[in-house]
Amino acid sequence: MDGFSYHDIFATKGLEYLVIIAFLALLVPFWIVLNKQVKITREIQKALGILSANILRIPQGLFYSRNHTWMYMEKSGAAKVGLDDLLLHITGEVKFNQLRNTGEIISKGDLLTEIDHDGKLLRIYSPVSGEIVDRNSLLEKKPGMLNEDPYGKGWIYKIKPTNWITDAKSCYFAEEATSWSEKELVRFKDFLANTMKNHSPDASMVILQDGGELCDHSLSTLPDEIWKDFQKEFLTLYRLPSPAA
Amino acid sequence: MNNSYQIAADHDGKSIWKFLVSEFKPKGKFLTPFNIISIPIMILGLALIVIRFWKGIGSITNLTQDIPWGLWIGFDVVTGVAFAGGAYVLTFMVYILNMRKYHSIVRVTVLNGFLAYVFYAGALLLDLGRPWNVINPIIGNSFGTSSVLFLVAWHFLLYMIAQLIEFSPAIAEWLGARRARKILSAMTIAAVIFGITLSTLHQSGLGALYLMARDKIHPLWYSEFIPIMFFVSSIFAGLSMVIFEGSISHKVFFNQISEKNHQAQHGIIRGLSKICAGAMFAYFFLQMLVFIHGQNWIWINTPMGYWWLLEMVGFVFLPMLLFFVSYRKNNINMIKVAAILTMLGVILNRLNVTVIGFRWDMAIRYIPSWMELVVTLAVIFTEIWIFRWVINRMPVLRDSPSWVSEK
Repeated sequence: MDGFSYHDIFATKGLEYLVIIAFLALLVPFWIVLNKQVKITREIQKALGILSANILRIPQGLFYSRNHTWMYMEKSGAAKVGLDDLLLHITGEVKFNQLRNTGEIISKGDLLTEIDHDGKLLRIYSPVSGEIVDRNSLLEKKPGMLNEDPYGKGWIYKIKPTNWITDAKSCYFAEEATSWSEKELVRFKDFLANTMKNHSPDASMVILQDGGELCDHSLSTLPDEIWKDFQKEFLTLYRLPSPAA
Repeated sequence: MNNSYQIAADHDGKSIWKFLVSEFKPKGKFLTPFNIISIPIMILGLALIVIRFWKGIGSITNLTQDIPWGLWIGFDVVTGVAFAGGAYVLTFMVYILNMRKYHSIVRVTVLNGFLAYVFYAGALLLDLGRPWNVINPIIGNSFGTSSVLFLVAWHFLLYMIAQLIEFSPAIAEWLGARRARKILSAMTIAAVIFGITLSTLHQSGLGALYLMARDKIHPLWYSEFIPIMFFVSSIFAGLSMVIFEGSISHKVFFNQISEKNHQAQHGIIRGLSKICAGAMFAYFFLQMLVFIHGQNWIWINTPMGYWWLLEMVGFVFLPMLLFFVSYRKNNINMIKVAAILTMLGVILNRLNVTVIGFRWDMAIRYIPSWMELVVTLAVIFTEIWIFRWVINRMPVLRDSPSWVSEK
């Protein structure tokens, strides 16, 4: 081979380092923006008002009861109780009526509170037995907190439980809660299709047979009978026989 | 296409030979626009190949002693193999990284990769003076271990076998061979690992072939890093091919694809576009580094420099940006446009190295003859024919027969 030429390998090193630094500096925003997408899809779905499993917030450390309430044991030994995201997405903006006072003793399955959307009521039963030690006074000033931050500032009561272990056992937790919520969403779709059929004589009103998307706040515009059906189907909490019995 | 499939498991009660003979008969409408265009070209191509072996390579090509490698190597072999890179990337993602989302397109991609190797690497035989000598590096009639071609020859052979093993469960399902399927699918993971190793080596090996042509290739395209560039670009070349081929398959073979996989397609294409964007981002900077390292800015203000800029900006940077934006905006059509631009860019890059930038300073440039083009098209069409034949018979796009999951 003729014509060997010797590159001065240091001639361009400074520039090469600059390019590498530029590459790394650009890679960071490139990667961040590229991966932001998941959130954006969520925002889009939220803006479009589509209710699907991936917009539901399901913190993994809470206990979720069958009647769409959650509870969380604090260090003090009192458990916070609130409403889950799925329920609030289905009902839309609700006001809630404080029915219980501190010091009252309730058992699991007792009426805890009522939520109200334009006079249509849903009764919420307690997922836990115990003594009510506190109620969330913030909700009286800002009822919107319930929908905005259902697992944080939107808690409803603090209850000092008397039978925590048994009550918690009947709840869903972590991944189980996520998959349960997904199933509940599907069940809600079926429920809507059925109940609409029952309550409207017009067959064309039957919806969602093709598995279409749910609207956010689906219940808010529907009549009172359907709210009553929903209460029966989703919010009833049967008292479990205690293991000792 | 066709709507009725053989029930492979029992061959409709026929013997295996009768089943095979019946499967070789064409299915569906014969005079489709694709057939009308492709059949004359394939016949003409076959005639030209006969002439080539009868009268020698100079009779139908514009190749000379100065430029011994032309379109058949530069496009068929070098570009075709880059496009087949989707198979190793996807098998890596699905079997090694366990990204289940992409599982439904693995078979079709592996089939595509396998056929690409058989046909495009097979086109090498058209170029060889005495094609029967292709066996020499394998059987040891002078191995030629000091040549990159030794590596390429062995890798192509081994990789074709590995891909055939990866694909073989589909053949077993077609024939209803339950025991064979069990054994073959147990071999898949080994074949995948072997195949990935081979791919990373020979994608770059094809680039290494051009390392010894340092004085012949334009300095903007020649660097000692060609192998790395070829390897990195094969990632997004292969995935763009998967996006492109997948969108066509989805239209042409729509009746074979289950509802579930139809719905998954959108997410798959979007995921691939993200990988393409990332790989092209890295590739673009690698090209910049090579550019600076070779002090190539002295060439920028020349016609070849403008050509290079077109490739880098128009066919690397722009599609990268398109992949990026369309991933974020969730725009499938824009992803397809980006995939096509990327493929054009890869063709351009490979041809720039192997044909356009090769002996760029010669007074008389090599321009492929029309006959070379026809043969190339004939090779591509034949591959598509075989691809279609397989898709219509074996469970590639459609779900495996029920006995597979029953076990």
